[in-house]
Amino acid sequence: MSPAEKLVYMANQIARNLETAGRDHAARQTAEHIIAFWDPRMKQMILNHLDAGGTGLSEIAHAAIAEVRANVDA
Amino acid sequence: MQIRISDDAAALACGADAVADAFVKAGQVPERVSSWGMHWLEPLVEVGGIGYGPVTPDRVPDILAGSADDLRIGAVAEHAFIKGQQRLTFARFGKTRPLSLEDYAATGGWKGLERARTLGPDDTIAEVLASGLRGRGGAGFPAGIKWRTVAYAKAPRKFIVCNADEGDSGTFADRMVMEGDPFMLIEGMAIAGLAVGAGKAYVYIRSEYPHAIAKMEAAAALAAPIIAPFEVEVRTGAGAYVCGEETSLLNSLEGKRGEVRAKPPLPAHEGLFGCPTVINNVLTLAAVPFVLAEGAKAYADYGMGRSRGTMPVQLAGNIKHGGLYETAFGITLGALVNDIGGGTASGRPVRAVQVGGPLGAYIPVSQFDLPFDYEAFAAADGLIGHGGIVVFDDSVDMARQARFAMQFCAVESCGKCTPCRIGAVRGVETIDRLMAGGRARGAIENLPQIHNANRKARSAADEVALLRDLCETMKFGSLCALGGFTPYPVLSALNHFPEDFVVESAS
Amino acid sequence: MTYVRQNDFGTPAVSAEETVTLTIDGRDVTVPQGTTVMRAAAEIGTAIPKLCATDNLKQFGSCRLCLVEIDGARGTPASCTTPVASGMVVHTETPRLQKLRRGVMELYISDHPLDCLTCSANNDCELQDQAAAVGLRDVRYGYEGENHLGLETDTSNPYFDFDPSKCIACSRCVRACDEVQGTFALTMDGRGFASKISAGLASDDFLGSECVSCGACVQACPTATLQEKAVKEIGLPDRSVVTTCAYCGVGCTFRAEMRGEQLVRMVPWKDGKANRGHSCVKGRFAWGYAQHADRILKPMIRASIADPWREVEWDEAFAYAASELKRIAAKYGRGALGGITSSRCTNEETFLVQKLVRAGFGNNNVDTCARVCHSPTGYGLKTTFGTSAGTQDFDSVEQSDVMLVIGANPTDGHPVFASRMKRRLRQGAKLIVIDPRRTDLVRSPHIEAQHHLPLKPGTNVAVLTAMAHVIVTEGLANEAFIRERCDWDEYQDWATFVSEAKHSPETLAAVTGVDPTELRAAARLYATGGNAAIYYGLGVTEHSQGSSTVMAIANLAMVTGNIGRPGVGVNPLRGQNNVQGACDMGSFPHELSGYRHISDGAARKLFEDDWGVTLDPEPGLRIPNMLDAAVDGTFKALYIQGEDILQSDPDTKHVAAGLAAMECVIVHDLFLNETANYAHIFLPGSTFLEKDGTFTNAERRIQPVRKVMSPLNGLADWEVTQRVAQAMDLDWHYTHPSEIMDEIARLTPSFTGVSFERLDAEGSLQWPVNEAAPDGTPVMHIGGFVRGRGKFVVTDYVPTDERTGPRFPLLLTTGRILSHYNVGAQTRRTANVAWHPEDLLEIHPTDAENRGLKDGDWVKLASRSGETTLRALVTDRVAPGVVYTTFHHPMTQANVVTTDYSDWATNCPEYKVTAVQVAASNGPTDWQEDYSRLSERARRIEGVAAE
Repeated sequence: MSPAEKLVYMANQIARNLETAGRDHAARQTAEHIIAFWDPRMKQMILNHLDAGGTGLSEIAHAAIAEVRANVDA
Repeated sequence: MQIRISDDAAALACGADAVADAFVKAGQVPERVSSWGMHWLEPLVEVGGIGYGPVTPDRVPDILAGSADDLRIGAVAEHAFIKGQQRLTFARFGKTRPLSLEDYAATGGWKGLERARTLGPDDTIAEVLASGLRGRGGAGFPAGIKWRTVAYAKAPRKFIVCNADEGDSGTFADRMVMEGDPFMLIEGMAIAGLAVGAGKAYVYIRSEYPHAIAKMEAAAALAAPIIAPFEVEVRTGAGAYVCGEETSLLNSLEGKRGEVRAKPPLPAHEGLFGCPTVINNVLTLAAVPFVLAEGAKAYADYGMGRSRGTMPVQLAGNIKHGGLYETAFGITLGALVNDIGGGTASGRPVRAVQVGGPLGAYIPVSQFDLPFDYEAFAAADGLIGHGGIVVFDDSVDMARQARFAMQFCAVESCGKCTPCRIGAVRGVETIDRLMAGGRARGAIENLPQIHNANRKARSAADEVALLRDLCETMKFGSLCALGGFTPYPVLSALNHFPEDFVVESAS
Repeated sequence: MTYVRQNDFGTPAVSAEETVTLTIDGRDVTVPQGTTVMRAAAEIGTAIPKLCATDNLKQFGSCRLCLVEIDGARGTPASCTTPVASGMVVHTETPRLQKLRRGVMELYISDHPLDCLTCSANNDCELQDQAAAVGLRDVRYGYEGENHLGLETDTSNPYFDFDPSKCIACSRCVRACDEVQGTFALTMDGRGFASKISAGLASDDFLGSECVSCGACVQACPTATLQEKAVKEIGLPDRSVVTTCAYCGVGCTFRAEMRGEQLVRMVPWKDGKANRGHSCVKGRFAWGYAQHADRILKPMIRASIADPWREVEWDEAFAYAASELKRIAAKYGRGALGGITSSRCTNEETFLVQKLVRAGFGNNNVDTCARVCHSPTGYGLKTTFGTSAGTQDFDSVEQSDVMLVIGANPTDGHPVFASRMKRRLRQGAKLIVIDPRRTDLVRSPHIEAQHHLPLKPGTNVAVLTAMAHVIVTEGLANEAFIRERCDWDEYQDWATFVSEAKHSPETLAAVTGVDPTELRAAARLYATGGNAAIYYGLGVTEHSQGSSTVMAIANLAMVTGNIGRPGVGVNPLRGQNNVQGACDMGSFPHELSGYRHISDGAARKLFEDDWGVTLDPEPGLRIPNMLDAAVDGTFKALYIQGEDILQSDPDTKHVAAGLAAMECVIVHDLFLNETANYAHIFLPGSTFLEKDGTFTNAERRIQPVRKVMSPLNGLADWEVTQRVAQAMDLDWHYTHPSEIMDEIARLTPSFTGVSFERLDAEGSLQWPVNEAAPDGTPVMHIGGFVRGRGKFVVTDYVPTDERTGPRFPLLLTTGRILSHYNVGAQTRRTANVAWHPEDLLEIHPTDAENRGLKDGDWVKLASRSGETTLRALVTDRVAPGVVYTTFHHPMTQANVVTTDYSDWATNCPEYKVTAVQVAASNGPTDWQEDYSRLSERARRIEGVAAE
């Protein structure tokens, strides 16, 4: 796995574990988790991955990363 | 014609089975009953109430032909040895088949249990208290108080333990009860269980009693529905004398090393598996059905002083008429040995008797006026113990007997406490040195490097003084009665028979 | 100075409300009811002679020296077995007693060697003391009677000898083994004069026996019969210092008994609240590594790992380190630097390392080895209860009626606490074990688990959810507790979730492999058996759902109301001595000390004001992320204090690649460990014996570590870190670790009341220690949860992506063994190798037979990550389909095989589940051979000949 693929795997794993809370809630919790525990370069890397057309994120993880992007930009 | 032959181990050892076979061959099937307890007459054959003994198989035809007058002792029940007794516990002996529930019930069996069930626990204990029944194992502790302690103890589980590790020399009453009237013992345990709230009893029987083990196991199975929900389980010992000591017995019963426990806690508070436990000797529990069936007073009317009821005395050793003699407390030692026992079997004068097993004192003939009573014996530095009397004639060497006491203790010591573990070994060695006239200082004590050792030679008198000190250390320092009572035979031999301790070489 | 033993009251203390007043030798004494006469006398300083009595063992009554006279009582009762009674009048010294005691002693000495002066216990022998006390002057029996003086000494144990010729048969060793340790290895063999201590039937020597070498027997022995070899070699210590063990998270306190600067022995301190006077083979005996020849005592540097090491002076090493760190920061940015704190170092040292990273490196790239062990505990318990720590003190176990042990093997991993658990179990507490292996606790002498649930590795969450299902659907939930103490809405969501039919034990059995009937019974027992406590270990945390499992455990405790009082709770058994402390000290990249998130401006400001720096509000990199970033080229320098990540972290090849990609790896350690093969700067470390500080154990107990000898390398670890910081231009001037603790207390709300002064006075403190809890907090969440209301978290079972298949059909799980600690850096350098010279692969007989393997065969263990070889141990302790090994030996490199899967929330590696294949092998793997060559090259030191 490349470093970016690893981050995708991690994001999906977090999302999967929070999934039972329901899509929106899970996406928010996943985003909060990533914001709280990921180093800035990791956050940037997964954003870059998406920007570059990278794939592999689950639906919830995808929604979560969007929230992370908003947080990083803010 | 009713023929009875005992199947008690003592009778068997004397050839009772061969005699019984001879009757079968002659077309007469004998009834196998318990033993009357007249051991010198075993195998005793009772034909229509008339006794013959000791019988050998070749005399069976004579008996059947009516030509065995030399063996004939007349009506057994009228025999002087039996007639003089007050048989409460041994009332059925010689008369019933040990494993016959029918015989047992027909002779008043289960009456005590029925009454206890009617009375309930408190009144049952009150009866036992009022009877004055004391522990027959040796310590003589009031049974009712022990029961009450267990009854009052708050615990989800309680036990009855019957001490049937009868290891004292010259004793056989427990064995006779278990082989001859096992239901009586079971009834006694069931009454105890009812009284204190225990659901189960263990009978701890020494492995040297295979017949008793078999009888008790069979009897427990037969009696199970009668005593239910109370249960009785038989456990076999592994050959240690010290496991007759109640706390060692409990350890052994738990599957542990048969080692004495310090008291407190008393078994009545923390006994088997840590639960409140009544641990009584066979004779104590066996006396209980009578107490309940006939009432406390009927029992307490026998005896003297604080020793109430009867004691099944066991006459053994060098004695003419050895056997089981149940009598009220108070009879003198001399009456037991001479009048009832008929003196020595060897025909030589009696020199000493040992009462109460291997840890009992040697009592000289001069003290034969001692009444059989716990307090009287204690005052004379002796003990009744389990009621065994072993007779010695004038050929006995009391120094050897003293040495034997120490040796017995050394062999049987559990090894827990120091006075017994090391003291008994040193006791044997000290008596050996004493009999060798003392000792010169040893090679080690002679070394200049061993500076503090006393370098004086030790005389026989020095060794006697040391032996007395050792006895004091053992008596007051030992954890249990094994070490604590070993000094009794030693000191009694030394005190009453000093002439035997005079060094051979010097004399 | 003469050797002074700890005071011995003879019999254990009794806790009773009622007191009794009696008179002993004319003096009144008042003691709790049930106290023995002996102890009552000791309380007023009257030492009644004794030999078989000692205050950590039940009274025994065998030596008969302690006889006393009591007015109105018959005979001369033993004071050790006689309880006090009101108004009792006791005489301890009368001519009669003196004569009796002398008589007893005369017997003892008639069977004992006479050459005290050359005896190793001379001056530390109770027999000698008592012979003196009773005034024995003559042994009238002579010395030529029957005796035991010719018996052979058993020297098989590496740490102590057994000389039966000196034995007085007091049974203290046997009783200590039974009552204190609970192993029942020793017995009294034979009877009477032939009574003899025996270590077992099979071999009858200590090493070959069941003995676990905990030392309790040696400590209990009143003579030189059981004696430390070290005492025989060195002589008696002349001073002692109380300090805290540096092995596992139990945190035993010991008296380090010294002769000059030489450590003679470690003796468990009776007043230690974690160990209560007990010890294990590691803490008691395995301290020889501290003086091992392998220790590196001079700093070393090299430009490239291809170069040999060059020994330098400290100044040069610090200057080089600082210049490299500065160079890299300048070239790659400050985010390229990071540090790893050690759970084996003190709180103060750990605090300094994270401070160096945050204040000096200017980022939050600090992590700790808790990442790979208990990070899920921190996350899970913080989320549910509000505090990242276990809820109970160890004493709590004495009030437990039910213990649920999951993913922990305390008899090996936490032996001293295991002994306390076993003692409680022998008293009748019930036990549930959830573990793929049949651990010793499942069945050992006088202990048997009521329920053992041998689950398939990786299915903890499913099993715990199934238990919750039973509790909720069978109406066993403690609704009153939940309504009062927890969030009711969250509870209802959770209850609905666990009640779903798909979470029934019957349905989940297909996944977990656990018999549903047993599981139901276990759940009922936990819910209804009285005080129920959960103890767990790395078998819970080291999974892809480690954090979920911790939360599932917390849910169980809350739903049954088993939290907030003694006897219950959720208790992580911490792996290393200071895991709790390292976490408390802000070692995680997202947290400041006291578990405050780095994004918390108020908390950050407190530190910024105190330290005079600006802190980065963004979380830093975790260890696995550091390694990923290194491979990616953005992370270049790492300061590692006291951790060997190459051996201990998963997927060794990946770790090696990460380390190899860095430009400056600073290893600060006692030994040239495996990680040092990739290091550029080596800073020699100091042992726990060489420095002051504190460790915090699994029960949040902060305990002093005291310097008993000078650091062999010249500097304590905290000094080394400070010198690095100073070289990095930080204005640090600590003169003693107490000043660091003062800073911690100043900056950490749960440590407000902690100081070295108080620790010296009180022995230990359990955090939180602050205004709300001035005396500390033995049991947490009494009356309410720290976070407010307890939070039920829905824990959905998500199977790990690590799956068995045709190539890798078996599941490997890993653990440790009693005699070794972690990567074995310490214990491998002690005689503990006698018990465990190599890692073995446990494999079930069926699996072994299918592969044609016999016990002792060399096998190749392969996973998708890598492969290694080791020898097989065929045993049904593991279930079919499961294999097990330890990771104590670098030759085995078990972590070559483990994968980079990790816990979803904390990235704690999934050590406990790896799909593997096992096959016969005839030698080391290529990796092992390559690594062995690399290791040899990397360890060269200029001017120092290789051994």
